[in-house]
Amino acid sequence: MSTLYLDNVSKVYDGAPDRAVDSLSMHIEDGEIVALLGSSGCGKTTSLRMVAGLESITDGEIRVGNRVVNALRPAQRNVAMAFETYALYPPLRVRENIAFGLLRDRVPSGEIEKRVKQIAAMLEITDLLDRYPPSISGGAQQRVSLARALIRNAAVHLLDEPMSQLEPQLRALLRARIKDYIIAHKMTTVVVTHDQTEAIALADRIAVMEKGLLQQFATPHDLQDRPANLFVASFIGEPPMNLFPAVVQDGGIAVLNDRQEVAFHMSVAVSGASGKLGDGKRIVVGVRPHRIGLAPGERAEGTNLVGEVTSNHWLGDQCQVGFQVRGCHVIAVGGRDVHAPMGSQVPVAISGEAVRIFDAESGVAIDQGPEPAASLVA
Amino acid sequence: MAFLEITGLSKSFKDHKVINDLSIGIEKGEFLAVFGPSGCGKTVFLRLIAGMMPADSGEIDIDGQSVVDANPEDRDIGMAFQNYALYPHMTAFDNIASPLRSRHVTAAEVDARVKETARMLRIDHVLDHLPKALSQGQKQRTALARSLVGRPSVVLLDDPLRNVDAKIRYEMRFELPRVLRRYESTVIYVTQDYKEAMALGDRVAVLVDGAFGQAAAPHEIYDSPSTIRIARLFGDPPINLLPVRPITGAAGTEMSVAGSTVRLPADRAALSGRECMFGIRSENVVVSLEPNNGIPMTLDAITPVNNRLVMLLGGNEGTELFASCPQGGPMDRLRGRHNAWITLDLAHAHFFDNGNGARI
Amino acid sequence: MNGKSVLRAVALTLIGLFFLFPLFWVVLMSFMTNADILRNPPSPFFTPTLHNYTALVSGNLGTNVGTQKIDYMLNLFNSTVLSGFSVILSLILGVPAAYAFARYKFRLGEDMAFTLLSFRFAPPLLVLLPLLMYFQSIGLYDTYFGLVWVYQLITLPLVLWIVRGYFEDVSEDIELAYRLDGHSWLRTFFRISIPLARPGIAAAALLSFIFAWNNFIFALILGSSGVQPVTVGALAFVTASGIEYGQIAAALVFSIMPTLVLAVFTQRYLVEGLSLGAIKG
Repeated sequence: MSTLYLDNVSKVYDGAPDRAVDSLSMHIEDGEIVALLGSSGCGKTTSLRMVAGLESITDGEIRVGNRVVNALRPAQRNVAMAFETYALYPPLRVRENIAFGLLRDRVPSGEIEKRVKQIAAMLEITDLLDRYPPSISGGAQQRVSLARALIRNAAVHLLDEPMSQLEPQLRALLRARIKDYIIAHKMTTVVVTHDQTEAIALADRIAVMEKGLLQQFATPHDLQDRPANLFVASFIGEPPMNLFPAVVQDGGIAVLNDRQEVAFHMSVAVSGASGKLGDGKRIVVGVRPHRIGLAPGERAEGTNLVGEVTSNHWLGDQCQVGFQVRGCHVIAVGGRDVHAPMGSQVPVAISGEAVRIFDAESGVAIDQGPEPAASLVA
Repeated sequence: MAFLEITGLSKSFKDHKVINDLSIGIEKGEFLAVFGPSGCGKTVFLRLIAGMMPADSGEIDIDGQSVVDANPEDRDIGMAFQNYALYPHMTAFDNIASPLRSRHVTAAEVDARVKETARMLRIDHVLDHLPKALSQGQKQRTALARSLVGRPSVVLLDDPLRNVDAKIRYEMRFELPRVLRRYESTVIYVTQDYKEAMALGDRVAVLVDGAFGQAAAPHEIYDSPSTIRIARLFGDPPINLLPVRPITGAAGTEMSVAGSTVRLPADRAALSGRECMFGIRSENVVVSLEPNNGIPMTLDAITPVNNRLVMLLGGNEGTELFASCPQGGPMDRLRGRHNAWITLDLAHAHFFDNGNGARI
Repeated sequence: MNGKSVLRAVALTLIGLFFLFPLFWVVLMSFMTNADILRNPPSPFFTPTLHNYTALVSGNLGTNVGTQKIDYMLNLFNSTVLSGFSVILSLILGVPAAYAFARYKFRLGEDMAFTLLSFRFAPPLLVLLPLLMYFQSIGLYDTYFGLVWVYQLITLPLVLWIVRGYFEDVSEDIELAYRLDGHSWLRTFFRISIPLARPGIAAAALLSFIFAWNNFIFALILGSSGVQPVTVGALAFVTASGIEYGQIAAALVFSIMPTLVLAVFTQRYLVEGLSLGAIKG
């Protein structure tokens, strides 16, 4: 229930040449849900542990509300944490584990009883309240650990890979219930995860990290629609964003296939005026599979292509079609009724608005849209 | 008889019947995806077909020949394992060449065929590496190449993409069918991911209680699941299931959902008076933020999933329902609880018997 | 280099010296004349001589009262033959048995395996006297065959227990994959299972060789001058007339050599990792 500010926070381990976390700055609003997302070793867990006080801060400042917490011990920071390894107390029953933090905060026992029951029902562990941690499954232990963290009214709630062990069937339900709970209680929450679907489902904003550096801190929508660089573009999204090597040619874009030949042209006007997109410039073009129109009917606006269907994955509520245009492989997502049999020729349309352009060397986005036609004005 | 015909296959471990009277016929060139929750016996099933362990009873016939008592080396089967199972003391080339070398193929032909398969799977540039020098993706491709190079009658793939990075997994999911089609293989593909099963399989066979509860095209499994359990296994979020008791009266056949009355189409009149389970998928639950004559509920949480929004709704009598819709609508920027009215697209309604879970 | 690592280096050197010094001195002594050895105070500086070794090889050892004939070279030969054949026989019998124990869970399997191991626990003396009587009546007393057979009590359990562990670590999937490739069970055993368990087999072979080489009591009771290994042969050095120390030292060096050479040779296999990354995880 308070803000959380990280200002140029860095972490260097003794003897290590690189920074585990490099100048991380984030301002998290009161009641906001933020996800730290990245592959293992990117620095997300280290950052979380610095906020909790389990790791020392090499550089920079962390403020919870108005207080600078750098020098405070974890117990003094008023943060609640759910650990990746659960860290439950084996000699205590599940209900006692969950209530532990509340006992410390001296909440009256009637109130404790009520809240424990409520949160156990939410996380489907009511039957396990009188069991001991070693006797329940990994997925159940994880839920107990979550319950223990969420039941408290701390300034900041920190969740480290909170749902990695959950049975797939329960995942959608518990995710929604937990989100509802957190929003209803106006909890400021930071979730660490390597699973981008989890991050997108839960968070108001997501901080994508790689090798200790913050790549982009934005809403799920902006991360998907306006990725700041190639790393974010390829990390977020299922199926992943289509990324094609291409080259600027005669004020337009020529997309290349595996063999460096031109596969097709995109009718996206590029202006070389700003100097960034001169003729011959090597770029990477990105288009989300969801933004490619399959069998659009009449000739639609944008680039119109005919592709040969190489695979068609029907998934019940959608279909994912893989097709190739002169050696360039593309994936598009359409509704469940799209008709695209293997080997057939299917017309597709890619609107100019859906095209994102990245510098081929640095990976940084040159054009993030949604301005039409990617025309850059000096 | 089908190309690969399995009849009455059974296998127990210590009084636990892991495979229980399982039967299925697989056509030549068919890609059968075998799916089931973890621990359901998928691996045991594959190993029975491979000949790693003897079946307690049943028949396995490939192209008319019975192989149920044959040694693995005599069954003409290729297999790719979840943990690759590459020979650590041999190069990738020798790994892939192994099925050919057992058959007295000339060295020149071995060379040609190994290189051709490697080229198709894009590992021709690492053929001289030992397995420990290959990346995960390359190891998996090597294992695949080894299973295909001998052009066996049947190819068994044991969750080959499970241990591969998420990004490469997607890539291979699209590449695999292409490769397998070139070899015209008859494939049994075991997976724990229902999306993978539906994406890749000509048919999906669902393994429950040691046998195939349903083996049908993805459309049929998804739109007409034969039991509640199977309905629950496909779809994310899982299918909504509500116990109901439709009654046919003067106004037609009606049932109560979250405290409101819902009119069923006339063809459901036979359900009158029957306690059953009503199933409807999230994409067939339409949510409106404006009052209409739908069922009043509260929209509790919205979780975006890829390009869709998954919504959790709460209603009377503790009912919880999932609804989903494409992004790009009025729901996009919502946060927190709101009142909502839902309508059910009953053209996609499922009814199951309460007792045995079977489809009505 | 900081204080901690200097201290560690010094400590290790001291410990190393403590353990290795006697060995080092024995080797030195083997190149010294009797006069140099007996000199007081002892000195590491001397003129080396091969006299001790030539005496040993020729079989005529100097004592303080003349020479004594001791055929130490024959003892060395016997030790090599006995240990070598024992290990080879144990490998031939033990490796397939270890595979069976590892792969096939049959009833009483664990009990059988433990029984075989228990042979190492039992005091040899219990068995030896009855065995002596049997051997004499069936003519196995003082024969290579008889001793190699009895040495299995030492070497076979070792091979079984060490190699079984290594076979258990070889993934069954790899073996199944090779069979599905069209190779028979036997070919799989020789081309896949054994190569992948090689570190274990090497370790077991080396350990068995050492234990067999060092054995004293079996050879003493069940053998005589015909098959005497170095352990028993060394008794001859303890005589009233005192053999020259230098020659005893040379004999010691000879007796260590084979096991040392074998250890160095097998080290290559011992440090080989298992699986070499062909199996995930």
